[in-house]
Amino acid sequence: MNDLIWLVRREFWENKAIWVMPACIGALLVVGSLFGKVEIAMLHASDQQSELAGVLFMVTIGGVFWVAMSIYSVWYMLDCLYADRKDRSVLFFKSMPVTDSATVVSKLFVGVVAIPLVYFCVADIAALLMAFVISVRAHLVFGNVLWSPGLWLQVQALWLYVLATGVLWYAPVVGWLLLVSAWAKRAVILQALLPPLAVMLAERLFLGTHVTAIVLRDRLLGGGYASFHHPIHWSLEKGEMTPGVWQLPDPVGFFSSADVWIGVLIGAACIAGAVQLRKRRTGT
Amino acid sequence: MIPSSPLIEARGLSKKYGSFLALDRADFVVQPGRIVGLIGPNGAGKTTALRAVLGLTTYDGQLRVLGREPFAERAVLMQETSFIADVAVLPSWLRVQQAIDFVAGVHPRFRRERAVALLAKTDIGMRRRIGELSKGMKTMVHLALTMAIDARLLVLDEPTLGLDILARRGFYDALVNDYMDETRTIVITTHQVEEVENLLTDVLFIDKGHIVLDCSVEDIGTRYAAVEVADDRVAAARQERPFYERRALGKTILYFEGADREKLEDFGEVGAPSVSDLFVAKLSAERAA
Repeated sequence: MNDLIWLVRREFWENKAIWVMPACIGALLVVGSLFGKVEIAMLHASDQQSELAGVLFMVTIGGVFWVAMSIYSVWYMLDCLYADRKDRSVLFFKSMPVTDSATVVSKLFVGVVAIPLVYFCVADIAALLMAFVISVRAHLVFGNVLWSPGLWLQVQALWLYVLATGVLWYAPVVGWLLLVSAWAKRAVILQALLPPLAVMLAERLFLGTHVTAIVLRDRLLGGGYASFHHPIHWSLEKGEMTPGVWQLPDPVGFFSSADVWIGVLIGAACIAGAVQLRKRRTGT
Repeated sequence: MIPSSPLIEARGLSKKYGSFLALDRADFVVQPGRIVGLIGPNGAGKTTALRAVLGLTTYDGQLRVLGREPFAERAVLMQETSFIADVAVLPSWLRVQQAIDFVAGVHPRFRRERAVALLAKTDIGMRRRIGELSKGMKTMVHLALTMAIDARLLVLDEPTLGLDILARRGFYDALVNDYMDETRTIVITTHQVEEVENLLTDVLFIDKGHIVLDCSVEDIGTRYAAVEVADDRVAAARQERPFYERRALGKTILYFEGADREKLEDFGEVGAPSVSDLFVAKLSAERAA
Protein backbone atom coordinates (compact mmCIF):
# COMPACT_ATOMS: atom_id res chain seq x y z
CA MET A 1 0.00 0.00 0.00
CA ASN A 2 2.82 2.35 0.94
CA ASP A 3 4.55 1.48 -2.33
CA LEU A 4 1.38 2.23 -4.25
CA ILE A 5 1.09 5.69 -2.74
CA TRP A 6 4.65 6.50 -3.82
CA LEU A 7 4.13 5.02 -7.25
CA VAL A 8 1.03 7.13 -7.76
CA ARG A 9 2.85 10.21 -6.50
CA ARG A 10 5.59 9.44 -8.99
CA GLU A 11 3.02 9.42 -11.81
CA PHE A 12 1.86 12.89 -10.79
CA TRP A 13 5.46 14.13 -10.79
CA GLU A 14 6.04 12.78 -14.27
CA ASN A 15 2.68 13.65 -15.80
CA LYS A 16 1.95 17.20 -14.76
CA ALA A 17 -0.64 17.31 -17.55
CA ILE A 18 -2.92 15.25 -15.29
CA TRP A 19 -3.92 18.45 -13.50
CA VAL A 20 -2.47 21.17 -15.75
CA MET A 21 -4.67 20.24 -18.71
CA PRO A 22 -8.02 20.26 -16.90
CA ALA A 23 -6.95 23.42 -15.07
CA CYS A 24 -6.34 25.11 -18.43
CA ILE A 25 -9.68 23.90 -19.81
CA GLY A 26 -11.43 25.13 -16.67
CA ALA A 27 -9.71 28.51 -16.88
CA LEU A 28 -10.72 28.84 -20.54
CA LEU A 29 -14.36 28.04 -19.73
CA VAL A 30 -14.46 30.54 -16.87
CA VAL A 31 -12.86 33.23 -19.03
CA GLY A 32 -15.39 32.32 -21.72
CA SER A 33 -18.24 32.83 -19.29
CA LEU A 34 -16.80 36.21 -18.35
CA PHE A 35 -16.75 37.53 -21.88
CA GLY A 36 -19.06 35.25 -23.81
CA LYS A 37 -22.62 36.06 -24.80
CA VAL A 38 -25.11 35.06 -22.10
CA GLU A 39 -28.20 33.45 -23.49
CA ILE A 40 -30.99 35.61 -22.11
CA ALA A 41 -33.75 33.57 -23.69
CA MET A 42 -33.99 31.46 -20.56
CA LEU A 43 -34.54 34.49 -18.37
CA HIS A 44 -38.25 34.37 -18.92
CA ALA A 45 -38.50 30.66 -18.92
CA SER A 46 -40.73 28.61 -16.72
CA ASP A 47 -39.28 26.82 -13.70
CA GLN A 48 -39.12 23.54 -15.52
CA GLN A 49 -37.45 25.06 -18.52
CA SER A 50 -34.84 26.74 -16.39
CA GLU A 51 -34.24 23.51 -14.52
CA LEU A 52 -33.57 21.88 -17.84
CA ALA A 53 -31.23 24.76 -18.66
CA GLY A 54 -29.39 24.13 -15.41
CA VAL A 55 -29.00 20.46 -16.16
CA LEU A 56 -27.86 21.17 -19.70
CA PHE A 57 -25.37 23.71 -18.37
CA MET A 58 -23.75 21.21 -16.03
CA VAL A 59 -23.95 18.31 -18.43
CA THR A 60 -22.29 20.41 -21.11
CA ILE A 61 -19.42 21.41 -18.84
CA GLY A 62 -19.10 17.84 -17.66
CA GLY A 63 -19.18 16.68 -21.26
CA VAL A 64 -16.31 18.95 -22.26
CA PHE A 65 -14.21 17.59 -19.41
CA TRP A 66 -15.32 14.03 -20.11
CA VAL A 67 -14.11 14.20 -23.72
CA ALA A 68 -10.80 15.84 -22.74
CA MET A 69 -10.34 13.32 -19.93
CA SER A 70 -11.02 10.35 -22.20
CA ILE A 71 -8.47 11.53 -24.76
CA TYR A 72 -5.83 12.25 -22.14
CA SER A 73 -6.45 9.05 -20.22
CA VAL A 74 -6.15 6.94 -23.38
CA TRP A 75 -2.88 8.66 -24.19
CA TYR A 76 -1.65 8.22 -20.63
CA MET A 77 -2.39 4.51 -20.56
CA LEU A 78 -0.71 3.93 -23.91
CA ASP A 79 2.40 5.76 -22.77
CA CYS A 80 2.71 4.70 -19.14
CA LEU A 81 4.42 1.33 -19.58
CA TYR A 82 6.34 2.44 -22.66
CA ALA A 83 7.89 5.81 -21.76
CA ASP A 84 10.27 4.49 -19.11
CA ARG A 85 11.41 1.69 -21.38
CA LYS A 86 12.08 4.23 -24.11
CA ASP A 87 14.23 6.49 -21.91
CA ARG A 88 15.60 3.41 -20.08
CA SER A 89 14.64 4.80 -16.66
CA VAL A 90 12.90 1.45 -16.22
CA LEU A 91 16.37 0.25 -15.18
CA PHE A 92 16.23 2.65 -12.26
CA PHE A 93 12.67 1.82 -11.26
CA LYS A 94 13.36 -1.91 -11.49
CA SER A 95 16.25 -1.53 -9.06
CA MET A 96 13.68 -0.68 -6.38
CA PRO A 97 12.02 -3.41 -4.30
CA VAL A 98 8.67 -2.84 -5.98
CA THR A 99 6.81 -5.62 -7.75
CA ASP A 100 5.86 -5.28 -11.38
CA SER A 101 2.22 -5.86 -10.50
CA ALA A 102 2.33 -2.89 -8.09
CA THR A 103 3.77 -0.78 -10.88
CA VAL A 104 1.08 -1.79 -13.36
CA VAL A 105 -1.67 -1.39 -10.75
CA SER A 106 -0.43 2.11 -9.90
CA LYS A 107 -0.66 3.11 -13.56
CA LEU A 108 -4.06 1.49 -13.93
CA PHE A 109 -5.22 3.38 -10.84
CA VAL A 110 -3.98 6.69 -12.21
CA GLY A 111 -5.55 6.03 -15.61
CA VAL A 112 -9.02 4.98 -14.45
CA VAL A 113 -9.41 6.57 -11.01
CA ALA A 114 -7.00 9.44 -10.39
CA ILE A 115 -7.26 11.17 -13.77
CA PRO A 116 -11.10 10.98 -13.92
CA LEU A 117 -11.36 12.25 -10.32
CA VAL A 118 -9.00 15.17 -11.01
CA TYR A 119 -11.10 16.12 -14.04
CA PHE A 120 -14.27 15.66 -12.02
CA CYS A 121 -13.05 18.03 -9.29
CA VAL A 122 -11.77 20.62 -11.74
CA ALA A 123 -15.04 20.41 -13.67
CA ASP A 124 -16.90 21.08 -10.43
CA ILE A 125 -14.79 24.08 -9.57
CA ALA A 126 -15.12 25.42 -13.10
CA ALA A 127 -18.90 24.93 -13.08
CA LEU A 128 -19.21 26.73 -9.73
CA LEU A 129 -17.15 29.65 -10.94
CA MET A 130 -19.04 29.81 -14.23
CA ALA A 131 -22.41 29.63 -12.50
CA PHE A 132 -21.31 32.48 -10.28
CA VAL A 133 -20.10 34.58 -13.21
CA ILE A 134 -23.16 33.89 -15.33
CA SER A 135 -25.53 34.54 -12.45
CA VAL A 136 -23.95 37.90 -11.80
CA ARG A 137 -23.96 38.78 -15.47
CA ALA A 138 -27.57 37.65 -15.93
CA HIS A 139 -28.64 39.79 -12.98
CA LEU A 140 -29.27 36.85 -10.69
CA VAL A 141 -32.41 35.76 -12.52
CA PHE A 142 -30.75 32.83 -14.07
CA GLY A 143 -28.81 32.19 -10.88
CA ASN A 144 -31.54 30.38 -9.02
CA VAL A 145 -31.23 27.49 -11.37
CA LEU A 146 -27.49 27.23 -11.54
CA TRP A 147 -27.19 27.42 -7.79
CA SER A 148 -29.87 24.90 -7.00
CA PRO A 149 -28.24 22.52 -4.46
CA GLY A 150 -30.60 19.68 -5.23
CA LEU A 151 -29.80 19.81 -8.88
CA TRP A 152 -26.14 20.20 -8.14
CA LEU A 153 -26.04 17.04 -6.05
CA GLN A 154 -28.01 15.13 -8.63
CA VAL A 155 -25.59 16.01 -11.38
CA GLN A 156 -22.63 15.14 -9.13
CA ALA A 157 -24.08 11.74 -8.45
CA LEU A 158 -24.79 11.32 -12.13
CA TRP A 159 -21.22 12.05 -13.13
CA LEU A 160 -19.78 9.74 -10.47
CA TYR A 161 -22.10 7.07 -11.80
CA VAL A 162 -20.87 7.75 -15.32
CA LEU A 163 -17.23 7.50 -14.17
CA ALA A 164 -17.77 4.28 -12.22
CA THR A 165 -19.73 2.52 -14.94
CA GLY A 166 -17.37 3.93 -17.56
CA VAL A 167 -14.37 2.26 -15.91
CA LEU A 168 -16.12 -1.11 -15.93
CA TRP A 169 -17.56 -0.74 -19.40
CA TYR A 170 -14.25 0.34 -20.92
CA ALA A 171 -12.21 -2.26 -18.96
CA PRO A 172 -11.31 -4.22 -22.12
CA VAL A 173 -10.16 -1.01 -23.81
CA VAL A 174 -8.13 -0.04 -20.75
CA GLY A 175 -6.60 -3.52 -20.60
CA TRP A 176 -5.74 -3.44 -24.29
CA LEU A 177 -4.05 -0.03 -23.96
CA LEU A 178 -1.92 -1.19 -21.02
CA LEU A 179 -1.05 -4.42 -22.83
CA VAL A 180 0.13 -2.53 -25.91
CA SER A 181 1.99 -0.05 -23.73
CA ALA A 182 3.86 -2.89 -22.03
CA TRP A 183 4.49 -4.66 -25.34
CA ALA A 184 5.35 -2.02 -27.95
CA LYS A 185 8.94 -1.31 -28.86
CA ARG A 186 7.94 1.73 -30.91
CA ALA A 187 4.90 3.51 -32.36
CA VAL A 188 2.49 2.67 -29.53
CA ILE A 189 -0.51 4.39 -31.10
CA LEU A 190 -0.13 2.47 -34.34
CA GLN A 191 0.33 -0.78 -32.50
CA ALA A 192 -2.84 -0.14 -30.52
CA LEU A 193 -4.90 0.59 -33.64
CA LEU A 194 -3.52 -1.81 -36.23
CA PRO A 195 -4.43 -5.21 -34.72
CA PRO A 196 -8.17 -4.45 -34.37
CA LEU A 197 -8.21 -2.86 -37.83
CA ALA A 198 -6.36 -5.87 -39.26
CA VAL A 199 -8.84 -8.30 -37.68
CA MET A 200 -11.76 -6.28 -39.03
CA LEU A 201 -10.25 -6.19 -42.51
CA ALA A 202 -9.33 -9.88 -42.49
CA GLU A 203 -12.82 -10.82 -41.35
CA ARG A 204 -14.35 -8.76 -44.10
CA LEU A 205 -12.03 -10.15 -46.77
CA PHE A 206 -12.16 -13.81 -45.85
CA LEU A 207 -15.54 -14.25 -44.21
CA GLY A 208 -17.43 -11.29 -45.58
CA THR A 209 -18.86 -10.52 -42.13
CA HIS A 210 -18.60 -7.54 -39.81
CA VAL A 211 -18.78 -9.12 -36.37
CA THR A 212 -15.54 -7.56 -35.09
CA ALA A 213 -16.53 -4.13 -36.30
CA ILE A 214 -19.91 -4.39 -34.63
CA VAL A 215 -18.45 -5.67 -31.36
CA LEU A 216 -15.91 -2.85 -31.34
CA ARG A 217 -18.49 -0.22 -32.23
CA ASP A 218 -20.88 -1.40 -29.53
CA ARG A 219 -18.08 -1.39 -26.97
CA LEU A 220 -16.66 2.02 -27.88
CA LEU A 221 -19.96 3.83 -28.27
CA GLY A 222 -22.26 1.76 -26.08
CA GLY A 223 -21.15 2.89 -22.61
CA GLY A 224 -24.05 5.26 -22.09
CA TYR A 225 -26.49 2.82 -23.65
CA ALA A 226 -25.51 0.14 -21.14
CA SER A 227 -25.57 2.28 -18.01
CA PHE A 228 -28.68 4.43 -18.67
CA HIS A 229 -32.33 3.78 -19.34
CA HIS A 230 -33.14 4.28 -22.95
CA PRO A 231 -34.46 5.95 -24.81
CA ILE A 232 -33.86 9.08 -22.74
CA HIS A 233 -36.89 11.32 -23.16
CA TRP A 234 -35.87 14.90 -22.90
CA SER A 235 -38.59 16.96 -24.33
CA LEU A 236 -37.33 20.43 -24.94
CA GLU A 237 -40.58 21.56 -26.50
CA LYS A 238 -42.62 20.68 -23.47
CA GLY A 239 -39.96 22.22 -21.33
CA GLU A 240 -39.88 19.30 -18.99
CA MET A 241 -37.76 16.29 -18.41
CA THR A 242 -39.25 12.84 -18.37
CA PRO A 243 -38.01 11.08 -16.47
CA GLY A 244 -36.10 13.21 -13.92
CA VAL A 245 -32.34 13.02 -13.39
CA TRP A 246 -32.65 10.33 -10.73
CA GLN A 247 -34.56 8.10 -13.08
CA LEU A 248 -31.94 8.17 -15.81
CA PRO A 249 -29.32 5.69 -14.59
CA ASP A 250 -29.98 2.00 -14.90
CA PRO A 251 -27.57 0.42 -12.40
CA VAL A 252 -29.53 -2.81 -12.11
CA GLY A 253 -29.47 -3.28 -15.85
CA PHE A 254 -25.82 -2.34 -16.03
CA PHE A 255 -24.51 -4.56 -13.27
CA SER A 256 -26.57 -7.53 -14.40
CA SER A 257 -25.38 -7.22 -17.98
CA ALA A 258 -23.20 -10.07 -19.23
CA ASP A 259 -21.52 -7.64 -21.64
CA VAL A 260 -20.15 -5.67 -18.71
CA TRP A 261 -18.66 -8.63 -16.91
CA ILE A 262 -17.28 -10.28 -20.02
CA GLY A 263 -15.55 -6.95 -20.70
CA VAL A 264 -14.18 -6.82 -17.17
CA LEU A 265 -12.80 -10.35 -17.56
CA ILE A 266 -11.12 -9.48 -20.85
CA GLY A 267 -9.72 -6.32 -19.28
CA ALA A 268 -8.36 -8.27 -16.30
CA ALA A 269 -6.73 -10.82 -18.61
CA CYS A 270 -5.06 -8.02 -20.60
CA ILE A 271 -3.78 -6.40 -17.41
CA ALA A 272 -2.38 -9.72 -16.20
CA GLY A 273 -0.65 -9.97 -19.58
CA ALA A 274 0.73 -6.46 -19.16
CA VAL A 275 2.23 -7.46 -15.78
CA GLN A 276 3.93 -10.48 -17.37
CA LEU A 277 5.33 -8.33 -20.17
CA ARG A 278 6.46 -5.76 -17.64
CA LYS A 279 8.45 -8.44 -15.84
CA ARG A 280 10.24 -9.41 -19.02
CA ARG A 281 10.79 -6.18 -20.91
CA THR A 282 13.45 -3.77 -19.78
CA GLY A 283 14.12 -2.00 -23.03
CA THR A 284 12.63 -1.06 -26.33
CA MET B 1 37.18 -18.57 8.65
CA ILE B 2 33.75 -20.15 8.37
CA PRO B 3 33.03 -20.83 4.72
CA SER B 4 30.02 -18.72 3.83
CA SER B 5 27.53 -19.69 1.17
CA PRO B 6 28.04 -17.98 -2.17
CA LEU B 7 26.13 -14.82 -2.92
CA ILE B 8 25.61 -15.71 -6.55
CA GLU B 9 25.62 -19.25 -7.84
CA ALA B 10 25.01 -19.97 -11.51
CA ARG B 11 24.97 -23.49 -12.94
CA GLY B 12 24.43 -24.03 -16.64
CA LEU B 13 23.03 -20.54 -17.03
CA SER B 14 21.77 -20.07 -20.58
CA LYS B 15 19.81 -17.42 -22.40
CA LYS B 16 18.65 -17.44 -25.98
CA TYR B 17 17.48 -14.46 -28.00
CA GLY B 18 15.82 -16.04 -30.99
CA SER B 19 18.54 -18.28 -32.38
CA PHE B 20 21.36 -16.32 -30.75
CA LEU B 21 22.80 -17.94 -27.65
CA ALA B 22 23.80 -15.01 -25.45
CA LEU B 23 24.71 -17.25 -22.53
CA ASP B 24 25.75 -20.82 -23.11
CA ARG B 25 25.74 -22.97 -19.97
CA ALA B 26 27.77 -20.51 -17.95
CA ASP B 27 28.89 -21.55 -14.48
CA PHE B 28 30.12 -19.04 -11.96
CA VAL B 29 30.09 -18.33 -8.28
CA VAL B 30 30.51 -15.03 -6.47
CA GLN B 31 31.54 -15.15 -2.82
CA PRO B 32 30.57 -12.46 -0.31
CA GLY B 33 32.96 -9.59 0.35
CA ARG B 34 34.52 -9.70 -3.12
CA ILE B 35 34.74 -7.18 -5.93
CA VAL B 36 34.30 -9.19 -9.07
CA GLY B 37 34.99 -7.88 -12.54
CA LEU B 38 32.89 -9.52 -15.25
CA ILE B 39 35.02 -8.86 -18.27
CA GLY B 40 34.35 -9.67 -21.88
CA PRO B 41 34.21 -8.19 -25.37
CA ASN B 42 31.04 -6.66 -26.80
CA GLY B 43 28.29 -9.20 -27.20
CA ALA B 44 30.03 -11.71 -24.94
CA GLY B 45 27.01 -12.03 -22.65
CA LYS B 46 28.07 -9.75 -19.78
CA THR B 47 24.93 -7.69 -19.70
CA THR B 48 22.73 -10.74 -20.24
CA ALA B 49 24.40 -12.47 -17.30
CA LEU B 50 23.86 -9.44 -15.08
CA ARG B 51 20.26 -9.00 -16.22
CA ALA B 52 19.63 -12.61 -15.26
CA VAL B 53 21.27 -12.06 -11.86
CA LEU B 54 19.09 -8.99 -11.28
CA GLY B 55 15.86 -10.74 -12.23
CA LEU B 56 15.33 -8.58 -15.28
CA THR B 57 15.15 -11.47 -17.70
CA THR B 58 14.15 -15.11 -17.88
CA TYR B 59 16.86 -17.74 -18.27
CA ASP B 60 17.48 -21.46 -18.44
CA GLY B 61 19.63 -23.32 -15.96
CA GLN B 62 20.10 -22.74 -12.26
CA LEU B 63 20.66 -19.37 -10.69
CA ARG B 64 20.54 -18.35 -7.06
CA VAL B 65 21.25 -14.85 -5.86
CA LEU B 66 21.24 -14.32 -2.09
CA GLY B 67 19.51 -17.68 -1.99
CA ARG B 68 16.67 -16.47 -4.19
CA GLU B 69 15.50 -17.08 -7.68
CA PRO B 70 15.99 -13.68 -9.29
CA PHE B 71 13.29 -13.58 -11.96
CA ALA B 72 10.52 -14.88 -9.72
CA GLU B 73 11.57 -12.84 -6.69
CA ARG B 74 13.01 -9.63 -8.13
CA ALA B 75 11.17 -7.26 -5.81
CA VAL B 76 12.33 -9.09 -2.67
CA LEU B 77 15.84 -9.47 -4.06
CA MET B 78 16.03 -5.73 -4.65
CA GLN B 79 15.80 -5.08 -0.91
CA GLU B 80 19.34 -6.37 -0.56
CA THR B 81 20.66 -5.89 -4.06
CA SER B 82 21.10 -2.63 -5.81
CA PHE B 83 22.32 -1.92 -9.29
CA ILE B 84 23.31 0.72 -11.74
CA ALA B 85 22.77 -0.63 -15.21
CA ASP B 86 24.12 1.69 -17.82
CA VAL B 87 24.77 5.41 -17.52
CA ALA B 88 22.19 8.14 -17.00
CA VAL B 89 19.05 6.06 -16.61
CA LEU B 90 17.44 8.33 -14.04
CA PRO B 91 14.36 9.85 -15.68
CA SER B 92 14.90 13.39 -16.89
CA TRP B 93 11.66 14.74 -15.36
CA LEU B 94 12.67 13.72 -11.84
CA ARG B 95 14.04 16.29 -9.39
CA VAL B 96 16.92 15.30 -7.13
CA GLN B 97 14.72 15.86 -4.08
CA GLN B 98 11.95 13.74 -5.56
CA ALA B 99 14.41 10.95 -6.35
CA ILE B 100 15.45 10.87 -2.69
CA ASP B 101 11.85 11.02 -1.49
CA PHE B 102 10.82 8.23 -3.83
CA VAL B 103 13.62 5.85 -2.90
CA ALA B 104 13.10 6.66 0.79
CA GLY B 105 9.41 5.89 0.29
CA VAL B 106 9.76 2.49 -1.37
CA HIS B 107 13.10 1.17 -0.11
CA PRO B 108 13.26 -0.07 3.50
CA ARG B 109 17.07 -0.09 3.55
CA PHE B 110 17.61 3.39 2.17
CA ARG B 111 19.23 5.92 4.49
CA ARG B 112 18.14 9.37 3.43
CA GLU B 113 20.71 11.27 5.48
CA ARG B 114 23.47 9.30 3.82
CA ALA B 115 22.26 10.21 0.33
CA VAL B 116 21.94 13.85 1.35
CA ALA B 117 25.45 13.83 2.82
CA LEU B 118 26.91 12.27 -0.32
CA LEU B 119 25.16 14.81 -2.53
CA ALA B 120 26.31 17.67 -0.30
CA LYS B 121 29.86 16.82 -1.37
CA THR B 122 28.89 17.66 -4.94
CA ASP B 123 27.46 20.96 -6.12
CA ILE B 124 24.20 19.41 -7.29
CA GLY B 125 21.20 21.27 -5.89
CA MET B 126 18.21 19.36 -4.52
CA ARG B 127 15.76 21.30 -6.68
CA ARG B 128 17.58 20.46 -9.91
CA ARG B 129 15.85 18.34 -12.48
CA ILE B 130 17.83 15.29 -13.65
CA GLY B 131 17.38 16.42 -17.26
CA GLU B 132 19.28 19.63 -16.52
CA LEU B 133 22.34 17.83 -15.16
CA SER B 134 25.44 16.76 -17.07
CA LYS B 135 25.97 13.06 -17.67
CA GLY B 136 28.62 12.97 -14.94
CA MET B 137 26.29 14.67 -12.45
CA LYS B 138 23.44 12.28 -13.26
CA THR B 139 25.78 9.40 -12.56
CA MET B 140 26.80 10.93 -9.23
CA VAL B 141 23.15 11.36 -8.21
CA HIS B 142 22.45 7.75 -9.10
CA LEU B 143 25.55 6.62 -7.24
CA ALA B 144 24.58 8.64 -4.15
CA LEU B 145 21.11 7.04 -4.17
CA THR B 146 22.62 3.60 -4.63
CA MET B 147 25.32 4.03 -2.00
CA ALA B 148 22.72 5.13 0.55
CA ILE B 149 21.03 1.74 0.20
CA ASP B 150 22.33 -0.77 2.67
CA ALA B 151 22.64 -3.61 0.19
CA ARG B 152 24.65 -6.81 0.35
CA LEU B 153 25.17 -6.98 -3.39
CA LEU B 154 25.82 -4.10 -5.76
CA VAL B 155 25.85 -4.72 -9.48
CA LEU B 156 27.34 -2.16 -11.83
CA ASP B 157 26.94 -2.62 -15.57
CA GLU B 158 29.10 -0.18 -17.51
CA PRO B 159 28.41 2.51 -14.92
CA THR B 160 30.88 5.02 -16.35
CA LEU B 161 30.48 4.51 -20.07
CA GLY B 162 30.85 7.79 -21.93
CA LEU B 163 31.90 9.79 -18.87
CA ASP B 164 35.03 11.92 -18.90
CA ILE B 165 38.06 10.86 -16.93
CA LEU B 166 37.31 13.13 -13.96
CA ALA B 167 33.80 11.79 -13.56
CA ARG B 168 35.01 8.22 -13.92
CA ARG B 169 37.71 8.71 -11.31
CA GLY B 170 35.23 10.42 -8.98
CA PHE B 171 32.82 7.52 -9.37
CA TYR B 172 35.32 4.83 -8.42
CA ASP B 173 36.87 6.91 -5.64
CA ALA B 174 33.47 7.36 -4.02
CA LEU B 175 32.72 3.68 -4.43
CA VAL B 176 35.95 2.52 -2.82
CA ASN B 177 36.23 5.14 -0.09
CA ASP B 178 32.63 5.61 0.96
CA TYR B 179 30.96 2.33 0.16
CA MET B 180 33.05 -0.79 0.01
CA ASP B 181 33.56 -2.76 3.17
CA GLU B 182 33.77 -6.45 4.04
CA THR B 183 29.98 -6.82 4.25
CA ARG B 184 29.48 -5.82 0.66
CA THR B 185 29.95 -7.51 -2.63
CA ILE B 186 30.28 -5.75 -5.95
CA VAL B 187 29.99 -7.19 -9.43
CA ILE B 188 31.09 -4.84 -12.13
CA THR B 189 31.35 -4.91 -15.89
CA THR B 190 33.23 -2.37 -17.86
CA HIS B 191 35.08 -1.90 -21.11
CA GLN B 192 37.75 0.07 -19.33
CA VAL B 193 39.44 -2.83 -17.60
CA GLU B 194 42.52 -0.75 -16.74
CA GLU B 195 40.38 1.53 -14.66
CA VAL B 196 38.99 -1.11 -12.35
CA GLU B 197 41.72 -3.68 -12.26
CA ASN B 198 43.24 -2.27 -9.09
CA LEU B 199 39.89 -2.52 -7.35
CA LEU B 200 39.03 -6.07 -8.27
CA THR B 201 39.58 -9.07 -6.03
CA ASP B 202 38.28 -11.54 -8.62
CA VAL B 203 37.87 -11.69 -12.35
CA LEU B 204 35.41 -13.57 -14.50
CA PHE B 205 36.27 -13.57 -18.19
CA ILE B 206 33.37 -14.23 -20.48
CA ASP B 207 33.38 -14.80 -24.21
CA LYS B 208 30.61 -15.99 -26.52
CA GLY B 209 28.43 -16.85 -23.57
CA HIS B 210 31.03 -19.01 -21.85
CA ILE B 211 33.01 -18.28 -18.72
CA VAL B 212 36.61 -18.46 -19.92
CA LEU B 213 38.30 -17.73 -16.63
CA ASP B 214 37.15 -17.54 -13.03
CA CYS B 215 40.07 -16.58 -10.81
CA SER B 216 40.95 -14.36 -7.88
CA VAL B 217 43.39 -11.57 -8.61
CA GLU B 218 45.84 -12.97 -6.03
CA ASP B 219 45.82 -16.29 -7.83
CA ILE B 220 46.61 -14.75 -11.20
CA GLY B 221 50.21 -14.35 -10.05
CA THR B 222 50.56 -17.98 -9.06
CA ARG B 223 48.54 -19.52 -11.89
CA TYR B 224 49.78 -17.38 -14.73
CA ALA B 225 53.14 -16.04 -15.75
CA ALA B 226 54.20 -13.61 -18.46
CA VAL B 227 57.79 -14.02 -19.54
CA GLU B 228 59.75 -11.53 -21.62
CA VAL B 229 61.95 -13.64 -23.80
CA ALA B 230 64.78 -12.44 -26.03
CA ASP B 231 64.54 -13.66 -29.62
CA ASP B 232 67.29 -16.29 -29.35
CA ARG B 233 65.52 -18.03 -26.47
CA VAL B 234 61.98 -18.03 -27.87
CA ALA B 235 62.24 -21.48 -29.46
CA ALA B 236 63.44 -23.00 -26.22
CA ALA B 237 60.78 -21.20 -24.18
CA ARG B 238 58.07 -22.50 -26.50
CA GLN B 239 58.93 -26.00 -25.33
CA GLU B 240 57.23 -25.07 -22.04
CA ARG B 241 53.94 -24.72 -23.95
CA PRO B 242 52.87 -21.09 -23.60
CA PHE B 243 49.17 -20.60 -24.37
CA TYR B 244 49.72 -17.23 -26.00
CA GLU B 245 52.51 -15.02 -27.19
CA ARG B 246 52.88 -11.52 -28.49
CA ARG B 247 55.67 -9.24 -29.65
CA ALA B 248 56.48 -6.09 -27.72
CA LEU B 249 59.49 -3.78 -27.98
CA GLY B 250 61.75 -6.24 -29.70
CA LYS B 251 60.99 -9.04 -27.30
CA THR B 252 58.43 -11.79 -27.28
CA ILE B 253 56.14 -12.08 -24.30
CA LEU B 254 55.03 -15.62 -23.66
CA TYR B 255 52.09 -16.42 -21.38
CA PHE B 256 52.07 -19.61 -19.35
CA GLU B 257 49.48 -21.26 -17.23
CA GLY B 258 50.53 -23.45 -14.30
CA ALA B 259 54.13 -23.64 -15.47
CA ASP B 260 57.16 -24.15 -13.26
CA ARG B 261 58.36 -20.68 -12.30
CA GLU B 262 61.99 -21.61 -11.81
CA LYS B 263 62.20 -23.07 -15.28
CA LEU B 264 60.63 -19.98 -16.78
CA GLU B 265 63.16 -17.73 -15.13
CA ASP B 266 65.83 -19.26 -17.37
CA PHE B 267 64.20 -17.62 -20.38
CA GLY B 268 63.82 -14.08 -19.14
CA GLU B 269 62.06 -11.82 -16.71
CA VAL B 270 58.98 -13.47 -15.20
CA GLY B 271 56.05 -11.40 -13.99
CA ALA B 272 52.36 -11.75 -13.23
CA PRO B 273 50.28 -10.55 -16.19
CA SER B 274 47.97 -7.62 -15.54
CA VAL B 275 44.25 -8.32 -15.71
CA SER B 276 43.96 -6.59 -19.07
CA ASP B 277 46.96 -8.44 -20.53
CA LEU B 278 45.66 -11.73 -19.24
CA PHE B 279 42.26 -10.93 -20.71
CA VAL B 280 43.72 -10.32 -24.16
CA ALA B 281 45.92 -13.41 -23.89
CA LYS B 282 43.14 -15.70 -22.70
CA LEU B 283 40.61 -14.54 -25.25
CA SER B 284 43.00 -14.58 -28.18
CA ALA B 285 44.08 -18.10 -27.23
CA GLU B 286 40.45 -19.25 -26.86
CA ARG B 287 39.57 -17.88 -30.23
CA ALA B 288 42.62 -19.33 -31.97
CA ALA B 289 41.87 -22.77 -30.53
